[in-house]
Amino acid sequence: MFASILAAGLAAGAIYALVGITYNTMYSTSRVMSFTAGQLGMLGGVFGSYFILKLGLPIIVGFLATLVCCAILGYITEIVAVRPVLKSLEQHLYVLSTLALALMIQQVTAIEWGTEPRPFPKLVGWGEGVWDEKFWIPVVACALTIIGLEFLYRRTLVGRAFVAVAEDNFAAQALGLPERNLRVASYMLAAVVGGIAGFSGGELLLAFFANGALLNFYGFVPVALGGLGNNRGAVIGGLILGLFQQAANFLVGGIFASVAVFTLFIVVLLAAPQGLFGSAVARRV
Amino acid sequence: MSISRRDFVASVGAMGLASSLPRIALAQTENIKIGWLVAMTGPSSAPAAGFDRGVHFAANAINAAGGVGGRKIEIITRDTQGDPTKAVNATQELISQAKVHAIWGPTNSGESLAVTPIMAKAKMPNIHPCVIDTLIDTKKYPNAFRITPSNTQWDDAVRHYCLTILKLKKIAVIGDTTGYGVSAVNASVAAFKKEGAEVTYQANIDSTQSDLTPDMLRAKNSGAEVIVVWSVSTGMYSRMFNTRAKMNWDVSFVGHPSVSSGEIAPLLDKPDNWAKVYAIGYKSCSYDASGNLPPATQAFVANLLKAKVKLDDTLLWWVACGVDAIDLIAKAVGASGSTKPEGIVAYWNSIKGYSGHFGTYNYSLDQHNGYSTSEIVMSEARSAKNGTFALAPGY
Repeated sequence: MFASILAAGLAAGAIYALVGITYNTMYSTSRVMSFTAGQLGMLGGVFGSYFILKLGLPIIVGFLATLVCCAILGYITEIVAVRPVLKSLEQHLYVLSTLALALMIQQVTAIEWGTEPRPFPKLVGWGEGVWDEKFWIPVVACALTIIGLEFLYRRTLVGRAFVAVAEDNFAAQALGLPERNLRVASYMLAAVVGGIAGFSGGELLLAFFANGALLNFYGFVPVALGGLGNNRGAVIGGLILGLFQQAANFLVGGIFASVAVFTLFIVVLLAAPQGLFGSAVARRV
Repeated sequence: MSISRRDFVASVGAMGLASSLPRIALAQTENIKIGWLVAMTGPSSAPAAGFDRGVHFAANAINAAGGVGGRKIEIITRDTQGDPTKAVNATQELISQAKVHAIWGPTNSGESLAVTPIMAKAKMPNIHPCVIDTLIDTKKYPNAFRITPSNTQWDDAVRHYCLTILKLKKIAVIGDTTGYGVSAVNASVAAFKKEGAEVTYQANIDSTQSDLTPDMLRAKNSGAEVIVVWSVSTGMYSRMFNTRAKMNWDVSFVGHPSVSSGEIAPLLDKPDNWAKVYAIGYKSCSYDASGNLPPATQAFVANLLKAKVKLDDTLLWWVACGVDAIDLIAKAVGASGSTKPEGIVAYWNSIKGYSGHFGTYNYSLDQHNGYSTSEIVMSEARSAKNGTFALAPGY
């Protein structure tokens, strides 16, 4: 039982963490919580299944095509749902605009792809039982994504520009950084991370239009637990969530497991409103 | 020329009679208009093609034979898209604009819940294939008749198979977390307990839950000999069957017709994971160990194929049900001699042992669930062949 909790919990947790990073990456350059994050995760699975199983493309080509499609959707998200509402952030119009786009993505997927789950291909063909690849591929994908993002943010000029915009976009603009282009790029990057979440978790979650709402929900929890904008917090929060959820599944069962997860979520937020790893925001007086 | 009062009254009477004659004549020759509410598109549209083929097969056959007393059947189709709001609008349009004489459909319970009261208010004769029990109430909806089994009849048939045919007494009952799943599991558990069975495990699982090992382990540890399932989620079913195989557990699944959905096959790790899964099916549309359908159904299928009705991408019972619904409306008009709603409803209320292609129907003033429970059987879930299934072991 312990091995099963660990395997399934870490796998689900890694997927939630990647969706959490998607939220954070979009948020960092725009201060917008985009509710398309979970839908990008869903599309990672759907596009993967479409390109590899339906069109018969090789896995690596299917993977790259999936990421390109997700990146295009990230670009569209920035233009359609984020840019028009940036001037009135305090009115939280982005909640409506991103939620509307997310629902649109879900409905179009349901109509074009179907409302029944479809299979996702075996990517490697390694492992049995708790070592089945469907459990370890999301964990490996999550680890590689974190390493890639750390490298991007710390070692590349573009990455440092992202960080600069995230820290203070007015100062970044004053320094001549192309804030709008960087924001667009960050949305495309976030969408790629979301696509990786869905693609790596495809064997576990299947290619199913309803995964979008699930990932939106469970991907948000690690962001809130780990602190908004904090990727390391999102990863730790995601893994804790996955393990806790799977343990609750074993100990108390399906319906009560969800209740247990959200009870934990509320308790943590009551104790640490800024998240477990977030710092309290200083207020001007 | 002077006109006496008597002449005036006589001439007005004659004019009135003359003007009403064409209307009477028109009523005797106008088409029998049947409203057909169906989710042709959208998420609940899978059965639509089958039903629709049956509907048009029946209408064409009746019209080719000269119609009903010389009146042709006219099918007026409205696509409800699985959306109750669209179903309500379509129903009102069929009643007030198209002025149909009877309505067949809608084809899913959510839409039917929305439109049945509207049809009751308009006294519109209605036949539908929806399973929710509350859709049939002879006091509230005296004009609504069910052509398929109700959910309770499905439940009765599943229980009969587990307790009487398989002779198993320790039951696990599992459903999804939808309103349907929760209510079906509760009803099923209560009925099993009432008949003295031991319900060792009861659960409702979120159909998107990726790993079902915890629930399957609990069911196994409870000592369950059979798992009864109530859900329409093919994803959840495929995960259950895959998990059962990984656990090397030789338990049978019995339940909702969705366990036989063709969508399940590609989601399975191995085709054999679908073995020992038994879905609710119908005697008329099931083949025996020799691969033969009942003789009456064989003749029916031959007629369908002769009329070039496709059967390889749908279920036979959907087609048969569509045929029976149109036949029942046509027979009601023929027997009552008019398209008046009270005549149609009175005929349906008098039906005893009506032998259709899908089943045998019995209705009365107090019972509008007309399908006979004894004609519900269990089928081998993975045995689909031209829209029919093999009988499960024990028949």
